[in-house]
Amino acid sequence: MLEIKHTLCPSCSVGCGINVVLNDGEIVGTFPYKRHPVNAGKNCLNGRNSIDCYKNKFEDVDVDSLIGDVSKALNSASDVTVICSGNNTIEEIEAIKEFADSKGYKIGFYADNLKNYEEVASYEDIENAEKVFVIGDLLYENPLIGRRIVHAKQNGAKIFAFVNSEASVTFNIADECFNDSVGEFLDAVGNNIDESSVLVFNQIDAAEDLDKIDALNCKVLPVFSKSNSKGALGILEPKSKEEMFELLDNTDVLLVFNDDIADELEFDFSKISKIFSFAPCADETTEISEIVVPIKTWLEKDGSFVNAMGETQNFNAAIESDALSVIEVIEKLNG
Amino acid sequence: MVLNLRYTVQKKPNYEVILMSDELKIVGLLCNWCCYGGADTAGTARMQYPPNVRIIRVMCSGRITPSMIFKAFQEGADGVFVGGCHIGDCHYDAGNYKWSRRSKIVEDILEEFGIERERFRHEWISASEGEKFKTTMEEFHKTLSKLGPLELK
Amino acid sequence: MSYVLAKSQNDDIHKAGECGGAVTSILKYLLDEGIVDGVLAISPCDDVYDGVPTFVTNSEDLMKTAGSYHCAPTMIGDLVQKYLFDKKVAVTAKPCDMRAIEELIIRHKIDKDNIYVIGLNCGGTVPPVAGRKMIDLFYEANPDDVVSEEIDKGQFIIELADGSEEAVKIHDLEKEGYGRRTNCQRCDVKIPRKANIACGNWGAEDGWTFIEINDEKGQELIDGAKKAGILETKSPADPAIEGRKKVEGIMIKMAKKIQDKMYPTVNEIDDWNRCISCYACRDVCPICWCYENCELNKSFFKDEQNIPPSPIAFQGVRLSHMSFSCVDCGQCDDVCPMDIPVSLIFDKLQKKYFDRTGYVAGVSDGTKPPLYSPEKTEL
Repeated sequence: MLEIKHTLCPSCSVGCGINVVLNDGEIVGTFPYKRHPVNAGKNCLNGRNSIDCYKNKFEDVDVDSLIGDVSKALNSASDVTVICSGNNTIEEIEAIKEFADSKGYKIGFYADNLKNYEEVASYEDIENAEKVFVIGDLLYENPLIGRRIVHAKQNGAKIFAFVNSEASVTFNIADECFNDSVGEFLDAVGNNIDESSVLVFNQIDAAEDLDKIDALNCKVLPVFSKSNSKGALGILEPKSKEEMFELLDNTDVLLVFNDDIADELEFDFSKISKIFSFAPCADETTEISEIVVPIKTWLEKDGSFVNAMGETQNFNAAIESDALSVIEVIEKLNG
Repeated sequence: MVLNLRYTVQKKPNYEVILMSDELKIVGLLCNWCCYGGADTAGTARMQYPPNVRIIRVMCSGRITPSMIFKAFQEGADGVFVGGCHIGDCHYDAGNYKWSRRSKIVEDILEEFGIERERFRHEWISASEGEKFKTTMEEFHKTLSKLGPLELK
Repeated sequence: MSYVLAKSQNDDIHKAGECGGAVTSILKYLLDEGIVDGVLAISPCDDVYDGVPTFVTNSEDLMKTAGSYHCAPTMIGDLVQKYLFDKKVAVTAKPCDMRAIEELIIRHKIDKDNIYVIGLNCGGTVPPVAGRKMIDLFYEANPDDVVSEEIDKGQFIIELADGSEEAVKIHDLEKEGYGRRTNCQRCDVKIPRKANIACGNWGAEDGWTFIEINDEKGQELIDGAKKAGILETKSPADPAIEGRKKVEGIMIKMAKKIQDKMYPTVNEIDDWNRCISCYACRDVCPICWCYENCELNKSFFKDEQNIPPSPIAFQGVRLSHMSFSCVDCGQCDDVCPMDIPVSLIFDKLQKKYFDRTGYVAGVSDGTKPPLYSPEKTEL
């Protein structure tokens, strides 16, 4: 039986819609979701590949005994850190925070070195801006925001871009390009930035860059690498890379909720005595984990994400599953 | 398929044209049974023709796909030449008919990407036609010299 | 080939369906008699702008597919090919869907004996997101209040919940960059004559569907549905047939005019410089079916270092593979994250191929495009 269902793309914080194709109860492919206001049916390669997580998900195991083992280990542990990320839904993040707070665990939340902004530019603001300042290869890394930058250019805007490498599509559409450092870029273009400008960025070099951005009087739009980082920022305090390293240095037991932290941070995780992972499919972090508890993939869960421009988007499970959600895992951990 | 198109100038005296435009790169895809033989004949008879052509031998012109031509242009060829057997002489009966149909598509596509039609040429040359191979190469080289090096968009 | 006017004998269907409700009735007949395992048709999911291909196996669920949706630029050819090839199915198909199905039949990816195609005449589709913006800008209506839309006599007409209608000339909308998708604007195949039957309202009286019966299987469909008591037919009068022909003629003439304007712009396309090599255009293309065996996946074409890729080594290769079979469905435009007008060059190349060979993708008779012919002929 063929079925097409709406869902949200989990591969970055843009919040694109995507349809998944179900055939005989299995997810077999994606289909454009042309009605979705964010992306009008356009999805990048990451988005279309995001169903691979479902295809490669862990097989069913005796979850209860695994969670029992984790609980036992936690009982006698000190210096426990919980890693939470934008891969989790709002509801899950709230549950994780409550869990960590009640147990007195520290929370490690990393959002690409970026921070929360109360007010951010909307995607339409980019299209209507007179000048767009871009930090990072947005066209390649977040193509559906990149598309808005292209629209801005077509509407007559001037594009200024900073990208690490010179050969990039973002450079190709930019009027002025910089590639030395974010700080120098901001210094160089700072005088040009006014209220009709929008600054879009998905990376910075150092914390000082954030201060420089704060000093600008234009709309800003940080774009994160995870679907719900913006939502998580509303609940948790983000840590910079250095702060994360410091936290990990003082960690004895690490609980990772659906985050490939080992891939993201260059840290010697062998210094941590125990790592427990709650993840839907294998990644670098599950490789180094002592116990891996399989949880629902994004296609199997309901919830809400907040996209980069601060809009809350709800989505329903595309497919039923017996796997536990993060919330159910936490209930079990609480006993 | 990796084509090394970095060209080192061979010493060929008395060939003014070459000295003027020896940077031109021509890729020649030649059918084993006819045109490759034609090139051989030209060589054996010590006929002089522009050395800019890098020959790739294929078993039949019918084996050549448009992608090969495009790949050659992408890798830096300024012109691509395809040589096959005369119509009716194909070693595999109808390979050259197939190629001839395909070649039209190649022409149509090249044009749309701003690559001049003249940069792509194909000709039927038999193994005995060393002279024809030589003159074709000279003509092609002359055409390309006029067009200059290809600048891809 | 013959013409009939048809009307559903089922009141609910007649009310819910477009014109005479013939399409839904025929689908119901096919399901009820067990002639097909299922029906693939478009139904609105969230609202009228959200047409989603829906597979129906129970005729009671058919009602949700009744009616026509102009803001649903979907493609069903590849769905049939990928997921329904082993089933007996009936599908509703716009001309581009039908052309894609025909090209896939030629490629032995769809079994002609397994599929009934109910063709739908089509004047073009409107992209949903831009369509809503258009209604917001050019109509005095809230896009959310629209319950149905229609394209008639050169106008895009919306109907609101209170029964009132508003119309704006398509020409005016398209001048402003809205209206139909650009590939629809230049599409010159308005009636899917490769389908078993082609249905529509052109030339039809109010409350009737005008059907062109294209082959024996189509005739059997009509006869069967009549015998089952779900369809009523009558012969159209000559002026009706003439009227329909006129509508088609005008549309094609308009399309050709737009073609003449659009095709010369292909050489000026400089949008390739923002291609991010995401392969969305290839993956969505109903004609491309090699998947992981695609030549572009081969190591010598896979060029991850080079983004944007050289157009000749990316689109050029795709063009050489299938441009002669391009059915101008515009899916590649729709899914390109960078808004590159991909379909234009493919469509232009198919037209060039037509000039050389007379082959129209998905329309011409014959077993294969001439490029694949074993004949000893030159072009």
